[in-house]
Amino acid sequence: MAAGALSVALLLLPEIIKLDGKPHADWLQFVGRFHPLAVHLPIGLIVLVPVLEMAGAFRPALREAAGFVLALASAACIGTLILGFLLAYGSGDTGSIVSRHMWGGIGLAIGLLLCILARPAWCGGGSTRVYPALLGCVMLALLWTTHEGGSLTHGADYLTRYMPSPLKRFAVFGAVNAAIPYPDSFYAKHIHPIFESNCVACHGAGKTDGGLRLDSFEALMKGGKDGPVVVRRDAGKSILIDRVTLPAGSPHAMPAEGRTPLKPAEIAWIGAWIRAGASPSDREVAGVTIPSEPKDLPPEPVGDYSRWADEIEQMRHSQGAKLLPVSARPSDGLILSTVDVAPAFGDAQLAQFEKFAPYVVEANLARTAITDASFDILARFTHLRALHMEGTAVTGNGLAKLSALSRLNYLNLSETKVTADSLVPLKSMSNLRHVYAFNTAAQPAPGGDDAKPSPGGAR
Amino acid sequence: MKQHPLCTDCEQNSKVMDMPIPDGLKREWATLQTRRRFLGRSGKVLGWAAMASLFGEAALRGDVRPGGPKPAVPGREELKLPHFAPKAKRAIYLFMSGGPPQIDLLDYKPNLTAQFNKDMPDSVRGNQQLTGMTAGQSRFPVAPSHWPFKQYGQTGTWVSDLLPYTARMVDDLTIVKSVNTDAINHEPAIMLMNTGNMNAGKPCLGSWLAYGLGSMNDNLPTFVVLQTKTNPKENNQPVSSRLWSSGFLSSEYAGVGLRSGGDPVLYLTDPDGVDREVRRNMLDAVEQINRQTLEEIGDPETNARIAQYEMAYRMQTSVPELVDMSKEPASTWDLYGPDAKEPGTFAYNCLLARRMAERGVRFTQIYKRGWDVHDNVTGVLPILCQETDRACYALVTDLKRRGLLDDTLVVWAGEFGRTVYSQGGLTPENYGRDHHPRCFTTWMVGGGARPGLTYGETDEYSYNVVRDPVHVRDFNATILHCLGIDHNKFTFKFQGLDQKLTSPVPAYVVNGLLA
Repeated sequence: MAAGALSVALLLLPEIIKLDGKPHADWLQFVGRFHPLAVHLPIGLIVLVPVLEMAGAFRPALREAAGFVLALASAACIGTLILGFLLAYGSGDTGSIVSRHMWGGIGLAIGLLLCILARPAWCGGGSTRVYPALLGCVMLALLWTTHEGGSLTHGADYLTRYMPSPLKRFAVFGAVNAAIPYPDSFYAKHIHPIFESNCVACHGAGKTDGGLRLDSFEALMKGGKDGPVVVRRDAGKSILIDRVTLPAGSPHAMPAEGRTPLKPAEIAWIGAWIRAGASPSDREVAGVTIPSEPKDLPPEPVGDYSRWADEIEQMRHSQGAKLLPVSARPSDGLILSTVDVAPAFGDAQLAQFEKFAPYVVEANLARTAITDASFDILARFTHLRALHMEGTAVTGNGLAKLSALSRLNYLNLSETKVTADSLVPLKSMSNLRHVYAFNTAAQPAPGGDDAKPSPGGAR
Repeated sequence: MKQHPLCTDCEQNSKVMDMPIPDGLKREWATLQTRRRFLGRSGKVLGWAAMASLFGEAALRGDVRPGGPKPAVPGREELKLPHFAPKAKRAIYLFMSGGPPQIDLLDYKPNLTAQFNKDMPDSVRGNQQLTGMTAGQSRFPVAPSHWPFKQYGQTGTWVSDLLPYTARMVDDLTIVKSVNTDAINHEPAIMLMNTGNMNAGKPCLGSWLAYGLGSMNDNLPTFVVLQTKTNPKENNQPVSSRLWSSGFLSSEYAGVGLRSGGDPVLYLTDPDGVDREVRRNMLDAVEQINRQTLEEIGDPETNARIAQYEMAYRMQTSVPELVDMSKEPASTWDLYGPDAKEPGTFAYNCLLARRMAERGVRFTQIYKRGWDVHDNVTGVLPILCQETDRACYALVTDLKRRGLLDDTLVVWAGEFGRTVYSQGGLTPENYGRDHHPRCFTTWMVGGGARPGLTYGETDEYSYNVVRDPVHVRDFNATILHCLGIDHNKFTFKFQGLDQKLTSPVPAYVVNGLLA
């Protein structure tokens, strides 16, 4: 019957209008661009159908309306489907998301036709299961199709990008990152992330505008329908640079459709990388120094020391040295501050604070009376992140004992008696990123050269 | 003899109430009675009640900290500051009083060279009122920077030739070009920078920090103000102690100004015949008398007075050690320059600030006056830069190499910027600049600030901010954030309002400036 013929026609549509990835006449795109607009009509109507059917249990008039709405929905769906085809055909979009969305839309249209066929039987009381089951399938198809359509417009990670981290485990959809062969390379660390965040939404596996994919090095170098977009060693001839440096309003400027342009620094990096040979494995690129200070590890919380609160207060009165909280959050830990009693604070006094060691994250022992013997005691302060020993009499003998402090990140030995040799054990401590030994034998204070200002134009 | 009816030492109430006098008079007399009793000598019980409400729950529990008076406001334990783990524990604020001209220093506008002596288009100024000083001018000719700019460092930041030392550290600095303020003249502008309000009476940033975070070193003041000696060649605008006042907070949180010439603190040493023991006994006795006054009258300022006596006592030993520069290695003088040996210069103050940072002073503010270059920019600005540029670089470098920059925040700021158009005559050799609130440049470096960043942009006339404006309030909110304080949560109830540094107008921490 008519419905059957229509369904077959719909199924054959992708064969009739082959989506070959090449753009066609502009008018096709003009008309087709009303698809994202028009699509809201069938969505609304389709969703209304089950609502009316269910409400119709209480108000029969609504059930009559449901049939009418279903017919409207079906017509609108087919109309929107045609618009979608015109869009895809006209713009030459291809990609897995495009095809999934297309098949989803076709399935949806056919499903609706089947619903129209099945409905009279259900209304008449004949079959009670077929129509509701079909309607359920249509709703699921709608959900899926519309999600794919949204991914086309906004990117596959649109819904999950800002998801709170505890929920991210449940996000099964979203970008799947292929393993990058040289993760330490300049390309992997700086170029690939630029493409990931700005380009892959339209030039990736899901959607491949212009036949160009930018989500892997091979695809990048292969190029798209206009040929390679990157010409090794010649940024001037590389279409990619061309497109991203076009003025914002220009029709061919990339990222397209008014999306945020790349930052000048990012364009400069890509240009420099191309000029250096566009290698996937090179770690450095001539002319580009990106300050790559590895970030310090985030601080770890300490345990609960509330039961020691009275003792801590007591220590302050008896010792003079204080244990101050880092912040209002007790888990941030305590700071041992000896500045008020520094001359009288020695190894023996330090030992008295050992029982609070698991909670002390910073110890300020500057200009105190501690000696090399304190390294034994300090080695037991396992949660220590920062240690100030400037201006003390330590020589560094026994500094190796501090290697027990795996969290130690900062050590200040300025103006002490340490030598270059005594500092050698510190090199093996991987977290110890900030070591200061100003004005010691290890790092003598600089001579008069700081008096000269630098010449300008040092670029 | 009959007692006077208004005498409170005996019960005469009933007699007065029986008198055939108008009711209104009786009521008035009764009111006077109660007030007198409240404040009267026999009010010892009431005095304790007053003290209890001032000291809070702690005093009622008998939990008074030995060895120091408790401030008569919510205790620091109740404040629970810092709110979160801070990046910086202490701050040094280099205040360039007068308003440094951003176009000649850090805001590079190469296109202005072609605009020399052309009138600035009215559209740029919009409807901004002119100051009384320039309203009489018939022309507003554009005065480009007399000095060329060059690029420095990995960041390629443009810095004027006037600041060769600052240029060396651009990779560390966070330069903010889009700071803007509401005030056009000095006093309200500095008040706004310091206290968040153009009118006097609010506590300044240092006082808020002293109140909220307290001291790291009991023997030195929490908040120190250093003034730089003025240079008569410069146009020195006044600064007064109102700028570092504690407002409605207890006055023990006011800035302690060290003198800029001679001894930083007068009469540090005890006179002949008075040793520490005697001094201590004297202070104990004075404290006893003060406490009695406190019980009777209940003025919380008495506590501040007691606290300041105690601080002065401790400073007698700590300040001589602080200013004793004899043990500084030669590299220090090589870095800061010969100016630093002379007390009162900006270089000396910077060196002193570094020493205070080492010793745990929470907040140091250095005032350098003279930036108010209404005329003779080419004559005066080089002198100003020569006095400050090297010292700023030296302070930052010194802190950095001693490992203190990680947890110290250094801020360089004036109260407003200066106009692109010339005030007074414009010649190829000289020009003047008027005050300009709509945009100016500041920088910060250290704990919490993102290094190597230039934030914000002004238009081609350096007149309006076109991108990422940072109002003075937002700037202060960001400073507080670096020190671990949420500016919205750090409040003090006064005059029915939860007062905060950033004022009731909404302010936002500028995340783009943070590391």
